[in-house]
Amino acid sequence: MESDKTILTIKDLSIGFETKKGLLQVTDRISFQLKEGEILGLVGESGSGKSVTALAIMGLLEKKARILSGSIQFLGKELNGCSQKEYENLRGGQMAMVFQEPMTSLNPVLTIGSQAEEMLLLHDTKSDPIKRKQKVLELFEKTGLTQGESLYDKYPHQLSGGMRQRVMLATAMLCRPKLLIADEPTTALDVTLQSKILELIQKLNREYKTAVLFISHDLGVIKKLCKRAFILYQGKCVEQGMTEELFIHPKQEYTKQLLSASVGRDYKVSKQKDSVLLSVKNLSVFYPKQTKTFFSKKTKKQVVNGVSFELYQGETLGIVGESGSGKSTLAKALSGLLTDCTGEIIYHGREKLQPRMVFQDPYGSLNPSKSIGWLLEEPLRLQKKSGSNQYNRQQAEQMLQRTGLPIEFYERYPKALSGGQRQRTAIAMALMTKPEFLILDEPVSALDVTVQEQILSLLAKLREEFNLTYLFISHDLSVIRRFCDRICVMYEGKIVESKKTEVLFGQPENEYTKQLLNAML
Amino acid sequence: MTADIKQKQQSKYSFEQTTGMILAGLILVFVIVGLFYTPYDPDAINAALKNHPPTLLHPFGTDYLGRDILSRVMVGTKATFFISLLTVLIGGGIGTIIGAVTGYLGGFIDELLMRINDGVTAFPSILLALILVGVIGPGKYNIILALSIIFIPSFARIMRSEFLVQRELDYVRNAKLMGAGIFRIIFVHILPNTKNVLLPAFAIGFNNAVLAEAGMSYLSLGVQPPDASLGRMLSESQSYLLGAPWLAIIPGIVIIVMVLGFGLLGRTWGSN
Repeated sequence: MESDKTILTIKDLSIGFETKKGLLQVTDRISFQLKEGEILGLVGESGSGKSVTALAIMGLLEKKARILSGSIQFLGKELNGCSQKEYENLRGGQMAMVFQEPMTSLNPVLTIGSQAEEMLLLHDTKSDPIKRKQKVLELFEKTGLTQGESLYDKYPHQLSGGMRQRVMLATAMLCRPKLLIADEPTTALDVTLQSKILELIQKLNREYKTAVLFISHDLGVIKKLCKRAFILYQGKCVEQGMTEELFIHPKQEYTKQLLSASVGRDYKVSKQKDSVLLSVKNLSVFYPKQTKTFFSKKTKKQVVNGVSFELYQGETLGIVGESGSGKSTLAKALSGLLTDCTGEIIYHGREKLQPRMVFQDPYGSLNPSKSIGWLLEEPLRLQKKSGSNQYNRQQAEQMLQRTGLPIEFYERYPKALSGGQRQRTAIAMALMTKPEFLILDEPVSALDVTVQEQILSLLAKLREEFNLTYLFISHDLSVIRRFCDRICVMYEGKIVESKKTEVLFGQPENEYTKQLLNAML
Repeated sequence: MTADIKQKQQSKYSFEQTTGMILAGLILVFVIVGLFYTPYDPDAINAALKNHPPTLLHPFGTDYLGRDILSRVMVGTKATFFISLLTVLIGGGIGTIIGAVTGYLGGFIDELLMRINDGVTAFPSILLALILVGVIGPGKYNIILALSIIFIPSFARIMRSEFLVQRELDYVRNAKLMGAGIFRIIFVHILPNTKNVLLPAFAIGFNNAVLAEAGMSYLSLGVQPPDASLGRMLSESQSYLLGAPWLAIIPGIVIIVMVLGFGLLGRTWGSN
């Protein structure tokens, strides 16, 4: 199915952004080739220039970005410097793209059918409406959207994330393009959906002989899907070759680092302690439903449904589940952010234990208008534990050091920090009042793999130093497996299985757990 | 060394920002000097120099009573400036607090205050101000009061929508977890993050207040004679428009410079 015909040739491509401080180069002389029917993986962390490269190929670079040098040859035609008009003929017809975020890549006010049909209206002007609809339905069928006819008149908000991504794929493939660029198409999806979408891409690639440029930061996905891959780091192509070769004998330091991060170290401590820190009995949590009119009766939605578990002093309990399973809601109830719950939450041995929380998105969890020093001192001020300015500052600086941040950060603002540094700050903030118990709500999910690893090892180190107990919430099984002593699997608001990590991964009993583990790559 | 710093500063400010700063700066100089010094007594009548065109002694000419226009413009700008500033500070301040509290708390109090807000917004704002002044009587302080009231709804609405977004962010949750109270969260944690919206809103509000004050004084509802304000001067000039156009042109230009200057500044505040 793979032929020798080259579809796309990128040669010495350099792209830069114009900023106030002058030109900022984001990619540096990238070169690669893509053959007909091939799936090429493009691996890189955020900021490595992978998405910019994809946008450059599609001619969708924003105004401030410029191709500095190099050439993009598509089907023997030079695209660098080609007009928008020429691009319009190519896009959709010959080359198509699928984006990461299925929630925003469809127009919310148009029906699914009309959005898909538009592709044909633009590129296949001869066909009549009936034929167009037929063709769209045929592709819906191919991409696993079985309720074709009724789907046609639905709006995007009536569809789940996975279905939307299928619609995007169906639309992209309508004109049988020669090249499909998939920019992190599975990153925003749950694991069980991820593998299905990947299979779909593989199937489409086989049937239509469409070459796929698959962009991802997830090495597991790349390994499964792509024969050949190349690795971008800070705008430079670090290494490229056959995937097997790359993964078994990486030559460059960065590739090795990336690989070891994705395989990962084991951070478990298996010293079991007997004293119970927290026990939760039959906990249910409710969300108020949005009321349409002022006087209508308020209704509630039950998100967590009769959950019971115990947390022992010094252990790390993992809670795993897909989006909507109620795991974050559970965390909010435990921390006291949500108060509309029934059941019991008992903190043993103390009147009231103040749990601290670390949130997923390091860009939202730090107040952007305050300095790091202010942020670190705020918990002290609020707990009336604050002393003189000098004492506070000393405490804050100590915590900076212990979380692996330079003391100079005291004066900085969150804006100047990277994602990993922000997450370290968030952890430091949580530890300022010396709590015993920390709730970590997807603490590494928004970070790049190599940074994930650093944060995990920091958390492991702090667990020792401060004698902490963690409740670790994640959708990422591979992280949970390495970090937690015990795991609870949540599904639709309930805990369906709860076991020691090795036991759970060795002999899962629940049907859903099995499904989840199978989907893991 | 100094040349280096200068160059850096030049590249730091856009054309809009520079123009805004120069124009607003001019007005400020005018206002501050006007506080302490005017070339002539702005209210001194000189029967010998009625409607005299600009000369070296009276660079902006004199009006129909022979009063020096430069002096009157200085005093008038001062009056307009402080009336507008007070209006926007009072009205914008109250509006901000209402919007912040309702946006953050939501629920019944939000519904109640927002419906009252809708009620006030339903009236054309200048008309409402005119009615208010009609009830409480004309005068400097009364138009500050009237204009402040009609400024509240727009600020409340802007702030409410900002707070609706901000309150869902994790840093607010974090502050809650740390034990921060409602008022600390609203005013210490969230409010500084709305400055990109708040500062331009204040600048635009100031401009609207300048125009509203000028309009109301033009209708003799604001500053009372013989005191000067820019609107008042425009109103007095209208019978002499053909014979002595500088009577209208000079205050008109000052109004334009003021609105343009603060408007441009406000825009750049928003984008930073």
